[in-house]
Amino acid sequence: MIRTLVKSTVTLVLVAALGACDTKGGDPARQYGPDPWLPEPQQYLLPPMSVPQVVGWQPGEMPTVAAGMHIQAMATGLMHPRIVYALPNGDVLVVESNGPGTEPFRPKDYIQGKIKARAGAAAKGGNRITLLRDTNGDGVPELRTVLVDHLHSPYGVAWVAGTLYVANTDAILAFPFTPGQTRITASGTKLADLPAGPIDHHWTKSMVAGPDGTKLYVGVGSNSNITENGMAAEEGRAAIYEVDRLTGTKRIFASGTRNPTNLAIQPGTGQLFAVVNERDEIGPDLVPDYLTSVKDGAFYGWPYSYWGQHVDQRVHPQNPAMVAKAIKPDYGLSSHVAALGLAFSQGETVSPRFADGVFVAEHGSWDRVPLNGYQVVFVPFANGRPAGTPIPVMTGFLAPGQKVVRGRPVGVTLDRSGALLVADDVGNVVWRVSGGAH
Amino acid sequence: MPRPMTTSPGMPLFHPFFVGMGGALLIAAAFTDAMYVSNSLMQWANFSAWLIAAGLVLALLATIMLLIDGLFGRAGRIRLPDLVLLGAAAILSLFNVFVHTRDAWTSVMPSGIVLSWLVAVLLLIAGLRGWRVTEIRAIRTRGTV
Repeated sequence: MIRTLVKSTVTLVLVAALGACDTKGGDPARQYGPDPWLPEPQQYLLPPMSVPQVVGWQPGEMPTVAAGMHIQAMATGLMHPRIVYALPNGDVLVVESNGPGTEPFRPKDYIQGKIKARAGAAAKGGNRITLLRDTNGDGVPELRTVLVDHLHSPYGVAWVAGTLYVANTDAILAFPFTPGQTRITASGTKLADLPAGPIDHHWTKSMVAGPDGTKLYVGVGSNSNITENGMAAEEGRAAIYEVDRLTGTKRIFASGTRNPTNLAIQPGTGQLFAVVNERDEIGPDLVPDYLTSVKDGAFYGWPYSYWGQHVDQRVHPQNPAMVAKAIKPDYGLSSHVAALGLAFSQGETVSPRFADGVFVAEHGSWDRVPLNGYQVVFVPFANGRPAGTPIPVMTGFLAPGQKVVRGRPVGVTLDRSGALLVADDVGNVVWRVSGGAH
Repeated sequence: MPRPMTTSPGMPLFHPFFVGMGGALLIAAAFTDAMYVSNSLMQWANFSAWLIAAGLVLALLATIMLLIDGLFGRAGRIRLPDLVLLGAAAILSLFNVFVHTRDAWTSVMPSGIVLSWLVAVLLLIAGLRGWRVTEIRAIRTRGTV
């Protein structure tokens, strides 16, 4: 009698557990564009975790680019490179960084941390900025130096009027700097504090200088997936700040952006754009990460709702007034791609197909079957707005079969010659993709 | 004339201590869940997650101790109702520890707290019945009466 009872209970548990993680994600193409398909949210029994094993790039292996484009490794052996930034004189800055590390709150945090580490997320960051100088523009730097060292989980950088601004996880630092310099010895002065510890769940502080150079825009991620570290920890987070470059005075420019991982100014219009990573653990196709123009004072939903008025039941107490205020972002990139890099194209420098639009680096999913992202795409624009479907620019970060990962793309930018630079924080490489003419 | 056989209480069992301690933690989780539902402060739900996880570790220890009790000849007859009560509580708690890995409100409401209270009731009964799944094996000796 007992045996039957135990047997049937165990079967029940197994069926429920398997059933819960059996849901496979649909075609990401259904979630591209301004009106993505949004399924009903689901609750998992086992947290969704699906990460490929990191193997890195074997000799001779490189990401795949489309015909007519050329790819080369511009720098290798870096320490978790995240952001690439081109200075006016052609020098390229590489921000080598990783999170400061967080203390686990729950048993789940230990296990999740271990599994994410398998995907290379726990690699030690350099906490420094490396400078690459390629004078003749062949993609092979003649000089490589450490420009600034001993930073505190840096991410965004911006050079404006003789000053290099570095967004550490806890503050913006300002260094006097003239392009051409290969080493900064002066210690930076603090321009403004940024929300950081003690949890600092989404630690990256993306940054871009405004079109007239008087303001810096800084992306600050939420302190949790969906408020599971408490509402108090979310004070001032999940927002895009506008910081006065000279006084350091800051205000929240837009909010409800769960993790605004990168910002860029549209050439010509001066409009601020962002890529934002949305929430996890309510299904393989929820919620799509997005690309959006950022409107002053706008609220984009996190944590209360997503894609407009789709309420998230996990947030308590709920806030119908804020849900009503939430606006829809411009363009869905599909779910869990982890869009981290954003750069506007500057004409046909990489390819005639990539004349008007943005390059978006998708770091890749850790909680979706099948995996999604692990590529650099181009989102074409028409009339100053994203239009059409993303075109793959760089693929092959994931080996065929989705079992092992060779690299994961993060920051993107164009260098002086118009070639696309991509930081790869698993391969520890900066890739350079140039058009046929370069 | 042979002396009459008498029985005396045997050696104490090892497993009830671990059953009781694990049971106390799992019952406590029902209360921390209730606190979270009433005040929405995540720390109470974190307490629940730890209490249930620790309760399951103690359930595993209790199972090992039960086997040791058997091996050392301390355990007597199996008490079927207690085995069912405690076994069901352990299996439901295994479910519950996974429900509690969800983020924020739905880690507790509604299925988490329902499971916690179901487990608490089962354990309350098991506790009042003595926190053990076997009888103590009596030692038979030749009495001197």
